[in-house]
Amino acid sequence: MRLDEVARRRQRTAFLLALPSLVVFVGIGFIPLVLMATWSLWTFDADTYWVKPIWSLASYAALLEGGRATVFLRTAGLAAATATISTLLAAPAATVVGLLSGPRRATLLVALFTIPFFTSGLVRAFAWRLVLGREGIINGALTGLGLVRTPVEWLLFSDFAVVLGMVAADIPFAIVPIVLAFARIEPSVIRASQDLGAGFWMTFSSIVLPLITPGIVAGFLFVFVVAVGTSMEIQLLGGAGASSISVMINDVMRVVNFPLAFAIATVVVVFLIALVIVADRTLKLSRLFEHLGT
Amino acid sequence: MTPDSTVSSGTNGGRLLFTTITILSLIIMYAPALYLLLASLSPDEWLRLVAPIRFSLTSYVALIDDRRLASALDESVLVGLATAVLATPIGLSAALAYRAMTRMRSIFLLIILSATFVPGAIEGLGLSVILRLGRIHPSWVTVTIGHLLWTLPFAVTVSLIGLSAVKESAFEAARDLGAGPVRAFVDVTLPLMRGSLISSFVFSFLLSLNEHARAYYLIGRQNTLPLYMFGAMNSGASPTIYAFAGAIIVVSFAAVALIFFEATRRQKRSGDGQDKR
Repeated sequence: MRLDEVARRRQRTAFLLALPSLVVFVGIGFIPLVLMATWSLWTFDADTYWVKPIWSLASYAALLEGGRATVFLRTAGLAAATATISTLLAAPAATVVGLLSGPRRATLLVALFTIPFFTSGLVRAFAWRLVLGREGIINGALTGLGLVRTPVEWLLFSDFAVVLGMVAADIPFAIVPIVLAFARIEPSVIRASQDLGAGFWMTFSSIVLPLITPGIVAGFLFVFVVAVGTSMEIQLLGGAGASSISVMINDVMRVVNFPLAFAIATVVVVFLIALVIVADRTLKLSRLFEHLGT
Repeated sequence: MTPDSTVSSGTNGGRLLFTTITILSLIIMYAPALYLLLASLSPDEWLRLVAPIRFSLTSYVALIDDRRLASALDESVLVGLATAVLATPIGLSAALAYRAMTRMRSIFLLIILSATFVPGAIEGLGLSVILRLGRIHPSWVTVTIGHLLWTLPFAVTVSLIGLSAVKESAFEAARDLGAGPVRAFVDVTLPLMRGSLISSFVFSFLLSLNEHARAYYLIGRQNTLPLYMFGAMNSGASPTIYAFAGAIIVVSFAAVALIFFEATRRQKRSGDGQDKR
């Protein structure tokens, strides 16, 4: 009885403490998404520049017009390329942090990999213009060394520049889950593998890699999801007419076509949520974060 | 502390390759910003690297007279502070809730983290529509509401990490000695979490200061800093904008680096000798 009472009080305290954050996440995060999904099925009213409650799928049909389907596919493609490259860089880097460094260097590296995230993404994206442009440092070096006669044009305002900028910005999202996966590996397992005479590659491929795979998948997924939503790199580094889902939403809203913007938003959010849920179910990704705060 | 306790022997090829990739990643992340910073010290109208002896702050001096930049900066600082003031206690409260929870923990965490993954433009659009329907005029307040949603997951995470360093037994001991739950929290838990609360505040402020996609939909008449800068960058960047970008980079890197090293120092002091893995 008494134990029951304690447990109930604990639950109530937990609920009260969770309340402010739930108000934020549900009230200003979730509810607008649900309303947008509803309004995306309404009809545009040219008199009020708003939607009127007549159910229609017109906005969803319009998704396939005017090259919008291409924008969806291109955004997904660029995000997939970004996620692949980021993961290929992050897995070895996280291994250096989790396996090949003492505690001091590990802390330093984690700091170095996370600090840029909190600094201006806008400035960091913009800085690539100086590096990749016609007069940039790379073209300067290439022409200076006589490797090319005229500046390489495709370095800037191209998909190459966009992916490079996004990789540089999103690597932290790939590294953090893998580092968390390393933290869950028992050091004795690795020591045992070494005692049995396994070298670096043997230990890495047969012991470490299977254990960090959930972290690698989570990292890929995080970068992909973040990259799908970014517009900054596309706008600052992409070629003429380069678009992404976010840029497209901004464009649609410039002509205040609310239902169409809502339809795009709904498709993207449903897709992202489905992706995260499926990955979480199959790989138990939330376990990576379980030991936080306990 | 055992230095290099893990893999130490065996083939060096793998280690070399992995270390090279790590360095390459760091170069990609840092080199462009560093280059911009150095170029912004050029005395010429045309931005490029000059010998350190010719470094000049000409374009930085011009910043002082830029009125529109100053008011954008004011607006962003106001929004950033308001966001951090809200996000820090709400984040702490959520972290405490997570620790006290016995059921639905992973769902709660999933709700918190999932907010990070909704594209900024979509969050901003949805919120702006709701606020307009609620007859709330766009101003620094609406931007703050949007930025609260953006920064809160990070504030929660920082508080959770800080909380994991506070042993529940310390709190229980205070309770056993007769302190009420509030008293035990204020006297025991809170002082032990001071560092993480400061980090939470600074991170929330910086994330808000640099946020662009949500603010685009939520600002009133006054631009925030990233929006002003974005406009300036796309309309023939002047040396001023490089200087300003340089200043932003220096200030935010310094702030975050300071937080990190302060946290590491504290951790070392409190957990001397024990490897916390």
